[in-house]
Amino acid sequence: MSQIYLNLNSLQFGIKSNYKSIIIDPRSNLYNLTYPLSLINNSKLIINKTFNLNSIAQNEQINASLSRFNKFKKILLTSNSIIDLNNLKKLSWNGIPMEFRSISWQLLLNYLPSNNDRRASTLKRKRKEYLDSINQLFNNSNDGPIKDQTTWHQISIDVPRTNPHLKLYSYPIIQKSLERILYLWAVRHPASGYVQGINDLSTPFFQVFLSNYLNLDNNKNSLDNFDPSNVNQDILNAVEADTFWCLTKLLDSIQDNYIHAQPGIIRQVNELKDLIYRIDIELANHLEKEGIEFLQFSFRWMNCLLMRELSIDNIIRMWDTYLTEGINGFSEFHIYVCAAFLVKWSDELKQMEFQDIMIFLQNPPTTNWTEEDVGVLLSEAYVWQSLYKNASAHLKSHS
Amino acid sequence: MTDDYSYDYEYLFKIVLIGDSGVGKSNLLSRFTRNEFNLESRSTIGVEFATRTVEIDGKRVKAQIWDTAGQERYRAITSAYYRGAVGALVVYDISKAESYESVSRWLKELKEHADANIVIELVGNKSDLDHLRAVPTDEAKNFAAENQLLFTEASALNAENVDLSFHQLLKSIYDMVSKHQFDMNDYSSQAPSKGPTVDLTPKQNEEKSSKGNNCC
Repeated sequence: MSQIYLNLNSLQFGIKSNYKSIIIDPRSNLYNLTYPLSLINNSKLIINKTFNLNSIAQNEQINASLSRFNKFKKILLTSNSIIDLNNLKKLSWNGIPMEFRSISWQLLLNYLPSNNDRRASTLKRKRKEYLDSINQLFNNSNDGPIKDQTTWHQISIDVPRTNPHLKLYSYPIIQKSLERILYLWAVRHPASGYVQGINDLSTPFFQVFLSNYLNLDNNKNSLDNFDPSNVNQDILNAVEADTFWCLTKLLDSIQDNYIHAQPGIIRQVNELKDLIYRIDIELANHLEKEGIEFLQFSFRWMNCLLMRELSIDNIIRMWDTYLTEGINGFSEFHIYVCAAFLVKWSDELKQMEFQDIMIFLQNPPTTNWTEEDVGVLLSEAYVWQSLYKNASAHLKSHS
Repeated sequence: MTDDYSYDYEYLFKIVLIGDSGVGKSNLLSRFTRNEFNLESRSTIGVEFATRTVEIDGKRVKAQIWDTAGQERYRAITSAYYRGAVGALVVYDISKAESYESVSRWLKELKEHADANIVIELVGNKSDLDHLRAVPTDEAKNFAAENQLLFTEASALNAENVDLSFHQLLKSIYDMVSKHQFDMNDYSSQAPSKGPTVDLTPKQNEEKSSKGNNCC
């Protein structure tokens, strides 16, 4: 395959023409896929709509991408009646190509049935259930709900400052969607209610699910150039409902993070501290000497799942892996990721005093992080997890 | 008063920034510590930290400021930061009556969790929104006087009175600390990184000895 000709005109920006069938069954999105978007859009490889592959490294990279692409395609487009979730998990751990992400996430969360016969009917039912709940809650009016003004007020001031650096979230039509999702979730989970940070957690779902209906290139800013104001309402309704249900699944696994006194977060912070004492005793001692408490810097890491520390594209890649870890991905594997994240800056931190440590950790230098950096972080976390998970309780001296 | 941002200082004062969600606490802090204002700032989660050193009466005073999340759910986490604080800015939004009505609740929080002698300043933020004003200046000023609070209206957006409100608070803490005639070496000789160091409640014997020294 030294030369591949591509028709780049097929990559026009906008809504996919077959969006109606994607709404009914997201698998319809996959039949027409031929080449990985990641390859088509890799500018290094495109020369006048033709790419010449000279170097062996490039060849290998392309072959690996193609092979992954084909494996995903094979699993998801299986002719069996059931999609093999175990294989999907194994494959997804190292990241999901963007064209398969939406359906894979929904499958991994057990939102979308793996059984082919049940997929379309389940989706239809879940979306109707969501829409009915919303209509009921908002009493078919646009004046906003009246039931819980405190919650509604908090949501309505937080939504406009959700991912404010991303243009997509500045459109009123998107903000209204997020408000409804968050408010319905809060009403249905009174023990926790809406807690700041949950707004952040809804956005990877929203963005990934919406992207599924768009002809996007692999440029990560592409969604930023997209104006959702005139998008077909059926698409937005589907994206909104799917986001609600998947967010609900995610939050079910970390509900202790958001109830009174946030015991889930306290536990995670203590486990992180305990881990650092085992992984990097010098760093742990230095932090202690400087009077740094783990709660001071890692509370937010747990509360927002590192969404304030990493770009949303990095977070989306991270969730590919978290979602394969089953119910514990966001509550347990995440702690190992946080440990790997902290230890990454060990050398710098050990040279710093209290205030510099605090300020550094509030704004760690991750602006230029790529998917590869996230991949390394996840692999490190995996190593720590295999070494320390279920380690004997007597090793726990600091939690 | 001249300021700079260097690391040397003679006093370290821990300050907490509290008030309802969305009143502009984080922007007051970033305006004071970095002279920055961000219209698109995200909500604060838990507690965030910043410092600035200013000069008061020829002494270098470092303010170590803990900016807290305004939402009720975070109260259990944030109230732990009140301990050891010698000053508090209770912030409301002059265009939002509810945020002013919450002030007594925030004062109660301080009473429950903070040091009894903590110096408190009431700050009406967003003074640039005068056309949307919902809280009359006099009303807030009187409330502050009745409750022995310092008071300013400020705007993080146009920077009006931001430095003033922090300086006023720090000066008041400084005066109080000086009046109590603490042994300043206790604070200045400690490792600066150890966090909050000034204790506003004199211990029994310190109180006696300071009275004894007060003869001049």
